[in-house]
Amino acid sequence: MSARDQAAVVVDARQMEPPEPFVKTMEGLDELKDGEKLLLMLYREPHPLYRTLALNGYTYRASTEPDGTVEILIWKAV
Amino acid sequence: MQSLLSFDQAPPLAGPLRFFLTAPAFAAGAGLLLLLLGPGLLASRWTPGALAFTHLLTAGFMLQTMVGALLQILPVATGAGVEHPLGVARAVHGLFTGGLLLLLGGFLSFRPLYFQAAVGLFAAGLLIFLWAAGRALARVPASSPIQWALKLAAAGLAITVLLGLVLASALGFSLPWPLLQITGIHLSWGLVGWGVLLLSGVAYVVVPMFLLTPSFPGWLSRILAPGLFLALALWSGAEAAGLALAPWLGGVLMAGCGVFAGVTLWLLVRSKRARLDATHRYWRLGLGSGLAALTLLALGLLMPSLGGWNGWPLLFGVLILVGGFMSVISGMLYKIVPFLIWLHLQNAGQGQVLAPNMKKIMPESAMGRQMACHAAALALLAAAVLWPEWLARPAGAALLVSSLWLMRNLIGGVQVYRRHLQTIRGQLAASS
Repeated sequence: MSARDQAAVVVDARQMEPPEPFVKTMEGLDELKDGEKLLLMLYREPHPLYRTLALNGYTYRASTEPDGTVEILIWKAV
Repeated sequence: MQSLLSFDQAPPLAGPLRFFLTAPAFAAGAGLLLLLLGPGLLASRWTPGALAFTHLLTAGFMLQTMVGALLQILPVATGAGVEHPLGVARAVHGLFTGGLLLLLGGFLSFRPLYFQAAVGLFAAGLLIFLWAAGRALARVPASSPIQWALKLAAAGLAITVLLGLVLASALGFSLPWPLLQITGIHLSWGLVGWGVLLLSGVAYVVVPMFLLTPSFPGWLSRILAPGLFLALALWSGAEAAGLALAPWLGGVLMAGCGVFAGVTLWLLVRSKRARLDATHRYWRLGLGSGLAALTLLALGLLMPSLGGWNGWPLLFGVLILVGGFMSVISGMLYKIVPFLIWLHLQNAGQGQVLAPNMKKIMPESAMGRQMACHAAALALLAAAVLWPEWLARPAGAALLVSSLWLMRNLIGGVQVYRRHLQTIRGQLAASS
């Protein structure tokens, strides 16, 4: 199953200027219900976000698509 | 979402900001120097005034902003932050600033003691900076082009400052070293080994992120930094040994820098942003001016009549330093400083008080007008090389005004930060 199929919320931040991707991701994570996942799409690896997620008990899986899009699937660690 | 907005590795705001806020003062100092000394400063690149002017822009404006940017971008681009960021920033900022002031004293008075003291301060600042940045960079594998570029740029800075220390020691201790030859290698490492490599590493992150362009082509970002570093090392050896190969290697270096500038311009043209903001226009101006400088350099090397003209290296210096590096750096400051202020206000608000919109931290109209003033200063400086008697002082005045204006805009952002921080503290205290 692709990352897009697994995600309840998708934040396509490829056309957004900072800090909008971060803000939209935070808002999206707020909306997640138990067991749901969020997909963030960017053209780069968001290192500061990774640390923030880890600090706050979230797990993620990142993969790079052939067009350069980095897809980050995020969910609450159990 | 309170806990989500905490950042463990973002350096304190006062770390990078001290570099960004004081850097324009050095550029203003360069403008003031030209205003005071007038056309005599532009008689040749070797006048004491021209040497002081150049180092106010390079070891002042450029070095300060680029060190601040590197301290800031390391955790963003590589996931590894500098340890004790505030202490490192304070020490390096103080030592580099003191070293530069002594160096200026040395150029303008030619007293050996100033050069000797400048050597000590620059060497201490370099050691601390390389220790801190090196430890952070050593923790990440050089797996991406950004990390490669940042690592090689740090090495390029070390070589630039070491060659500068050699030159200042020669002047301070009257050593019989080949100053002209070492100066050429010193400035090539400064402009390419440190300047272009760091700029490229930062551009790979900042240009697609803030200017909404496609990513840099993989082939370019993979080969540019190692290729330029290798070509520069080979050119330096050939130049020092007086080999006939040196001009060819110099051509490879110029071509590499030209390809980087050309590809970046091509990406900017393909930006998805509907309206060009000050940063975008600053980048276009900087890259265009950089390409003009490279063309002038190549023509001067090919045409002895142009290369023998006293104004040729001066015009190259104006186009590459004020037109190229200063433009691009100013444009990036207009994105990085408001973003940092936003980030720290958001963090301070603990998810309960929101940070203001980025556009309210630094208004676009103020940045746009300052950018136009900088462009006018650049045009006047370039024309002043041709007509120094008429235009040297107006060009100095224009650079002074545009640099103070840049500083005013950046300080305006900090004032928004302070006001908003007080509001946040008041609201948090009221709700607790």
